[in-house]
Amino acid sequence: MTTSLALKGIRKSFDGVVVLDDAEFSGKAGEVHALLGENGAGKSSLMNVAAGLYAPEAGHVFINGEPTALSGPAEARGYGIGMVHQHFKLVMPFTVAENILLANGASAYRSGIRQIRAAIKKQSHELGFALDPDRRINTLSVAQQQQVEIVKVLVGGAKILILDEPTAVLTDAEAEQLLATVQRLARAGTTVVLITHKLNEVKRYADSVTIMRRGKTVATVDPSTTTAAELTQLTVGETQTLPARAQGEATGTRLNVGALTCSRADGSVALQDATFFVRAGEIYGIAGVSGNGQTELAEALMGAREPAKGEIWVEDLGDISRTPMSHARIAAVGIIPADRYTFALAGSLSLADNFAVAEVGSGRYGPLGLLDRAAMQRDTTRAIGEYDVQGVRSVKQKAALLSGGNAQKLVIAREFSRHPSIVVAHSPSRGLDARACNAVHQRLLSARDRGAAVVLISEDLDEVLSLSDRIGVMTRGRIVAEFSRPADRQAIGRAMVDHA
Amino acid sequence: MHDVSALSPQARASTKPTANRLRLVLDVRQSLPAWKQGLFIAGSLAVGLAISVAVLAVAGISPIELGGELIAVFNADSLRAVLVQAAPLMLVGLAASLAFRIGFWNLGLEGQMLFGGIFATGISVYQVGPPLTRLLLMGLASAVGGALWCLLAGFLKIRFRVNEIIATLLLNYVAMYFLFHLLYGAWQDARSAFPQSTPYQPYERLWDFGFGINSGLIVAIAAIIVAAWLVHFSRLGFYMRIVNANRSMARVVGIPIQAVTLWTVAISGACAGIAGFVNVASQEGRLTQSFANGYVFSGVLIAFLSRNDPIVVAVVGFLIAVLFIMGQTLQVFYQIPFTMVQMIEAIIVMSVASSEFFIRHRIHLIR
Repeated sequence: MTTSLALKGIRKSFDGVVVLDDAEFSGKAGEVHALLGENGAGKSSLMNVAAGLYAPEAGHVFINGEPTALSGPAEARGYGIGMVHQHFKLVMPFTVAENILLANGASAYRSGIRQIRAAIKKQSHELGFALDPDRRINTLSVAQQQQVEIVKVLVGGAKILILDEPTAVLTDAEAEQLLATVQRLARAGTTVVLITHKLNEVKRYADSVTIMRRGKTVATVDPSTTTAAELTQLTVGETQTLPARAQGEATGTRLNVGALTCSRADGSVALQDATFFVRAGEIYGIAGVSGNGQTELAEALMGAREPAKGEIWVEDLGDISRTPMSHARIAAVGIIPADRYTFALAGSLSLADNFAVAEVGSGRYGPLGLLDRAAMQRDTTRAIGEYDVQGVRSVKQKAALLSGGNAQKLVIAREFSRHPSIVVAHSPSRGLDARACNAVHQRLLSARDRGAAVVLISEDLDEVLSLSDRIGVMTRGRIVAEFSRPADRQAIGRAMVDHA
Repeated sequence: MHDVSALSPQARASTKPTANRLRLVLDVRQSLPAWKQGLFIAGSLAVGLAISVAVLAVAGISPIELGGELIAVFNADSLRAVLVQAAPLMLVGLAASLAFRIGFWNLGLEGQMLFGGIFATGISVYQVGPPLTRLLLMGLASAVGGALWCLLAGFLKIRFRVNEIIATLLLNYVAMYFLFHLLYGAWQDARSAFPQSTPYQPYERLWDFGFGINSGLIVAIAAIIVAAWLVHFSRLGFYMRIVNANRSMARVVGIPIQAVTLWTVAISGACAGIAGFVNVASQEGRLTQSFANGYVFSGVLIAFLSRNDPIVVAVVGFLIAVLFIMGQTLQVFYQIPFTMVQMIEAIIVMSVASSEFFIRHRIHLIR
């Protein structure tokens, strides 16, 4: 096997903050090469250099042994490098076919779209995706959008395929199918770079693994001869153990969702009589294959979507499903949305603004006429310390500069600092590394132990299983089955797919 | 971190794939201190002015003559004219910048000025209140008039999703024809055949303190101070920033988006209304047909150049007033058309707009 993609001595900094320092990578044709590391270790940045998005300050990119300076993503694509980003680069109001056409180009729209449609059908059939080329992106679930991204790159003829956390949004079955497909692609001669922080993926699917820590390459090893403990050791520098947890002490009902019904923008039914209740002091997990109404349920619970029918009853507040957002509701319900930069953070505003925003209306930060900025900054500084938000130079810096895990910690800091009696968390550990993920889980557990009613909506079945006291399985907008802890993984898996 | 930088366009001096060469790299800046941003804007303003001087030189006005005219603007008479002109410009600039802060494109500044003038004149025509409080009532009425006219567009946007750019712009014409209806009808001065109202009483006019300081300017500066406090220190200002930055998030964290929008729209309209009042009560002394002509473009221009900051609005408003008065002089003495002044305005806008690029990006050489 020949080395198809090599990066040597790569250095990159943003405004003085060094994110890559003498980083190395070398991937061969025909292998699945995992790139393992915590959030902020520089995995994505390194691959952005390979994809031509970042110009390195030092170091070289070699493609098939030739030193190559990439002027941009288009040139990288010309060399057969295709990257699927963690945050999708899709034009929302365009159809699947149009997006793929846009990325790959054609001399004429009509003939181009015809060819692209055929290529999509062929490619998605090979990959086992059910993609309709004429659906608009904004009507697709997150998982389906990712499928579009993958098809887009492959239709473009990528020989070096870089996948940034591809399984973060997929269910177990989807992830397995995807990784098996990717492995098949590699066997056919493609170089696959798999950015991940899931050890089991590395162990099962990768032929070799490069581990990064703090912008540096730590080691490249063979996963089949390395134990999971050794990999963890290399990744985090220290081995983390998940402490055993006690069963929650559930008491009275805090939240009752009754016959909640609503439809999507395209008219399809998102929620159909969804009914469940959550008691104080328990975590109610909602498992399901993505796109079965979880997003709409989360949006209804956080007040971003008005349901057509049904009620969301909250203790002391009554039915809040159609009432405007009130201060009492903000105080009672803490929200951790799946899409941080849509519903939780304003990237262009400061950390202090983002942290204080939910409490400004209560008068905590001064009367109508005078905002107490000093108090806002003081509280933010304290919360950043308390919730271990890293990468903060000043509370006045923009929130968009935080990495995914730290942005999530900031959201949690804000939502938990007012001690809500109900917590709604939607895919709270999406895209987070093991350490940040663990921290998020501990926060959810301690909220429960404090007596809060926690709703955990997640497409990661392991997450739901390990945290929940009771589990509801959501299929086609309903809760079709409920399980109590300890729940049988197989039975839940069957419930998830039986009705689909 | 990669979210931001992934958008960064990459520029290089050379396109050949060689690995070891000096090249220019374009990066997205994370932040830039305010004073450096100011420096970039000042620099590009200077470039814009230089281009304008060159254009005028081609039109037959030598830079030396131009310099003479610029100095002449600061003699007592011209300065007085500049300061009188600055007051309404600051107020419309303020009106535009407040609305732009929440992404409400208020292009109805002229219509709101007209209604400000109409409401103020109504107080005069119907002799509301004793002479002592007349002027104050006229000022308040103009604010209400402007606010209501702007709120109409705000209501249409919120209730029926009518695009506010269209609504505010077209409501200008409605306001204009309503003004004509009054000036050719009920409110026409019986002693003249011109379409204008009866002159105001002396106590209904804004007075001059001397040294070019008129009470219109005091009103404008007071409005600037109130707006600066509102934007930087009040809860409404904070909410405006959140609504503008992320509307979905604002909704979820319980910010009353409709109330914030309507209040901002009302305050914006009120500022424009007061600008109308300042024009009729100081310069014109009566309601005329044309006291609001051409203020939409100037208001938008001032808001843009000041990046919607009230304090900067005051400075830019003054500079635009200098440009206006100089333009009038050049028109009279050098026979250049008024469109030349508008062209210079446009050149300056484009220069300053391009400074945004250098504020957001950094170019550096790497090896």
